[in-house]
Amino acid sequence: MTALRSGVSRTTLALPLLLFGVLALAAPNFLAPQNLANVVGQITALLIVSLGQLLVALVAGIDLSVGSVMSLAGCLVATQPDPLWGMVLALLLGLAVGIANGLGVAVAGIHPLIMTLATATFLQGLAYLVLPIPGGEVAPALRSLADGSLWGVPQPLLWCALCAALVYGLLHRSRLGLHLFAVGAQARSAQLNGVRVVGVTVAAYVGCSLLAVVAGVYLAARVASGDPTMGASFGLESVTAVALGGVQLTGGVGSILGVLTGALSLGLITNGINLFGISPFLRGALTGALLLAAVCSQRRKVVGL
Amino acid sequence: MSAELTGNGMLAAPPWRRLLRGALALPPAYAGMLVLLALAALLRPQLLSAMLLPLIARQAAPLGLAVIGQSLVMRARSIDLSSGGVIVAVSYLLTSGYFQVSDAVAMGLCVVLGLVVGVVNGVLIVQARASSMIVTLAVSMILTGIVVALSQFRAPGDAPEFLRELARLRVWGMPLPVLVWLGALLPAALLLKRTVYGRSLAAVGSNPQAAALSGLPHLRVVFIGHVASALISVLCGFILVGFVGKGSITLGQDLALNSLAAAILGGVNFGNGRGGMAGPAVAAFMLTFLFNFLTSLGLGEPGRLMLQGAIIAAAALAYSLNRR
Repeated sequence: MTALRSGVSRTTLALPLLLFGVLALAAPNFLAPQNLANVVGQITALLIVSLGQLLVALVAGIDLSVGSVMSLAGCLVATQPDPLWGMVLALLLGLAVGIANGLGVAVAGIHPLIMTLATATFLQGLAYLVLPIPGGEVAPALRSLADGSLWGVPQPLLWCALCAALVYGLLHRSRLGLHLFAVGAQARSAQLNGVRVVGVTVAAYVGCSLLAVVAGVYLAARVASGDPTMGASFGLESVTAVALGGVQLTGGVGSILGVLTGALSLGLITNGINLFGISPFLRGALTGALLLAAVCSQRRKVVGL
Repeated sequence: MSAELTGNGMLAAPPWRRLLRGALALPPAYAGMLVLLALAALLRPQLLSAMLLPLIARQAAPLGLAVIGQSLVMRARSIDLSSGGVIVAVSYLLTSGYFQVSDAVAMGLCVVLGLVVGVVNGVLIVQARASSMIVTLAVSMILTGIVVALSQFRAPGDAPEFLRELARLRVWGMPLPVLVWLGALLPAALLLKRTVYGRSLAAVGSNPQAAALSGLPHLRVVFIGHVASALISVLCGFILVGFVGKGSITLGQDLALNSLAAAILGGVNFGNGRGGMAGPAVAAFMLTFLFNFLTSLGLGEPGRLMLQGAIIAAAALAYSLNRR
């Protein structure tokens, strides 16, 4: 039954390969090393934040606040003179947001969409407060981590690999991972079998927020400055990537491979839009359409929220 | 020791307790409005002047209308966050001059657009069973993306003259949009209390499965709610475009979130039959008044967003704790 639990199907695997093939044939510049490095750099943030979204989706939740968390983390790093202190602040922020979201969902019983929409709005305001207009400066030490390459490997790839390995260890080499799947598949049964549902849910939201912080720090380090709206589009984009990757938003089904294919597909589409000279503003419309397609293919039992 | 037994054997609470419980069961918007009015009377009495209050009410009218649509879908355990995209599209259709048509035809196109958006939302939510929040957010994203991409090539123009006239018009000293809003409340309340649709809505909201098993057209009820909500968004778009007098791609962007907050504050919540139309209306006015009040105290955009988030979270929290 492992095939079922991973959610990876032929279509989820074929989509990025197909996109890659089409772009390689139709866009002459696509295979240029410069462009490929660009694609990797663009996908990294999306992949990291989507890995976080995976954790939450596994427990049948959703986190729309990741975008604001990314923006705020970027603003914090860009406004703190000491990069280490900025990182610590940003991670503490992620911890607090995750705990708040998790408690709101698991203890107070607020619908995850409403809860995370509320925190997303709140944190967006906080981001404007920290950094009203794009600016600030990310410390050079941090910037060098997001660009260039180490031992011949582009640094962004290392960020991806590190985060994926972390999530892999969490999901498949720890007790918490098993509990995440159990809670998402059937929370009541998990509870009766002695799984602490509240703790597991809170842990999922904390993990998601922390990964969003990492994605935000990476993005800020890449562009070398902060922007209070930097992450705004990532909230729904990460949901799109996760849904495209075959992760069931109703919980219990999903895998890192699926998230990778989803993020890759979305990233390749973005790159295609750039290469073909289509208006970048249509990217939002296209993401929306993809999101609709991905979500509608996952038929649920309930109608509504 | 004068407690008496009620019919089901429970001890009846003393009167003051019953009163307190009754007050707690009221929508939070009422208490909030009272506190807010008292604070305003103390700190910014000029906000309560006969000149400013109608203006604030006029500003609240689009939100008040939007929350009618929002509360319809929320009663059926759904949500509509597409109003931002619909309003931007309406603004573009009315002001860009992209389609060389008369104003009346342009407004007709807007209504058609609203109908299409409502039907798309409804079909995807009801037939494909997709999450209504994700569907309506995605639809809003698609509309906004298309409009922004299109408006690169064409600067937004002026709003139709008669919409601007209507937005400025006053009848018996009250701005026309406020009258439209108040006029819409009564039929909406009657729709909830007196019609088959209203009763079905309450039934579907409180238990969709039971409603379906009882033979209620529970999918159609959700569907109609979404179409109505999208059409109301178009009406809000007309009013907002009339206010501003120009096309804009940032028009009405906070309406979706504010209508959600106002509906919850007004005592409407997902899938329970409680809350009429008065609570959300008071909440819409309260939120608008609150933002004006806080602006007069020097609160900027960051504070407004933080407050919005905090209000949604607090209202949802209060509701879910109350439910226990």
